[in-house]
Amino acid sequence: MSLKSYSRGRAIHVMLVYTGGCNGCDIEIVNCIFSPKFDAEQYKVFLTWNPREADVLVVTGPVTKHTEKPLREIYDAIPEPKAVVAAGACALMGGVYKNIHGDIPSEEIAGPVDKIIPVDAKVPGCAVRPQDIVAGLVSALPLLLDAD
Amino acid sequence: MDDNIQNRNVIESEVPMGTVHPAALEPYRVRLFVEDEIVRDAEITVGLNHRGVERIMEGLPVEKANSLTEKICGICSNSHIWNSCLVAEKALDIQVPERAKYIRIIMEELERLHSHFLYLAHGSEVLGHETFSMRLYYIRETVMDLLSMIGGNRVQYGASILGGIRPRCELDEMRLQQIKNGMDLLEERTTAFADRFVSDPMVMSRITGVGVISQKDALRLACTGPTLRATGVAKDLRTGMKEYDPFEFDVITQDGGDVKSQLLMRVLEIPESIKIIRQAIRELPKGPITNRSWEMRDVNLTKSYIEVPRGTLYHSYALEEGRVRNCVIRTPSMSNIGAMQLACIGYHITDAQLSIVQCDPCFTCTDRAIKIIEI
Repeated sequence: MSLKSYSRGRAIHVMLVYTGGCNGCDIEIVNCIFSPKFDAEQYKVFLTWNPREADVLVVTGPVTKHTEKPLREIYDAIPEPKAVVAAGACALMGGVYKNIHGDIPSEEIAGPVDKIIPVDAKVPGCAVRPQDIVAGLVSALPLLLDAD
Repeated sequence: MDDNIQNRNVIESEVPMGTVHPAALEPYRVRLFVEDEIVRDAEITVGLNHRGVERIMEGLPVEKANSLTEKICGICSNSHIWNSCLVAEKALDIQVPERAKYIRIIMEELERLHSHFLYLAHGSEVLGHETFSMRLYYIRETVMDLLSMIGGNRVQYGASILGGIRPRCELDEMRLQQIKNGMDLLEERTTAFADRFVSDPMVMSRITGVGVISQKDALRLACTGPTLRATGVAKDLRTGMKEYDPFEFDVITQDGGDVKSQLLMRVLEIPESIKIIRQAIRELPKGPITNRSWEMRDVNLTKSYIEVPRGTLYHSYALEEGRVRNCVIRTPSMSNIGAMQLACIGYHITDAQLSIVQCDPCFTCTDRAIKIIEI
């Protein structure tokens, strides 16, 4: 492993972006990194709120029309190499909000996350369990460590 | 050029607290107009979370519409589904069995516990004290274990249905014993935490006298819930709800209206909820938990108000051929928006985030299409 990959693997920074969901997934994600019970910090994964120092972007919520532009700007501000994890049923397929009835699409939702930015790992659940988020983050790590 | 620089000694600028921000757990936008580091004016913009839930509920069968209201919010999910079932039960005259009423109150008080712990943990994180924040998340895990044991999921447990309680949430001897042990553990840990919190001079000096809302302003802006009780007004809708008649508890108030009063409000409401849960476990009546013998008919608009962890919640809808028509939902955070905007004026910009977060906003519940009738 090169020196860059070795030092990158020692400090992974995760940034969380919420785009209009019910907030259940956001609390579970903050729980899994901060709370001493699930504790992703022991794997050297830290939570940050600055896109310029982040490596992994975690997106929750069905993307509403007003939050589409902030999501694109945050994705562009993260330096390469980066990975994107979409967490929760809303981020994967729009959840309960995507269709008004049957297959009539809603006018407030700009589509699930992979219509807007490219996604590397998908974590299902409503709300996601903290154990599954840790598994999803770990599965996105080889992309960061093998780049170069 | 030199005259201009000499005459101007005040710098005015606008600082945005943007759409995505670490101190806010939902997307909303605040513009702060700052002069010499003191905030002179503020403007809050909401509406980024609008997903059209009332539009989706129009025309759904009643049982499906009830279970959809739970997905409005992840923190206060049980409150929405309980109130929605209460509207239909009031409209169709359905008698809920006694045992189901007690279990519904146990679930609601457990939800109040987890919501207050989350507020305290998030408030400590905004203060900058990460150690308190981590310890509070750890204490909160006891409540989450109990909720997932009863309901099956940590968030959005779906306990109430039309006519009673879902059969999975029945409490037998082993579950009652677990709840009792959990309450003992919580009481011991909360008292230890409260002692450490109140006797810490640095934390107290940062939150005393910051973000003050006066009693007159709170009544004029129609605040509800702990935000109003922290200014000295003793209004709690639980004393008027007939579901809470068999239980005894105190209504907590604080004077001051600043961040310290708001935090102490939640810390002191936790033992009251533990008291209610203990009474409910001791006096749980026997009997069935669902009532399935009722008939559907058309009813006009029916309303229901209950007290949830953040204030007063209002649901209303009409029924036509078993489907929901004309649904309106108003959450307590909508009433508290005015207080949030007022609380940060006149203080340092570093305290502005704390003043906004002190009123416990939950904008995922709030963003609905509203009609302004009178300004």
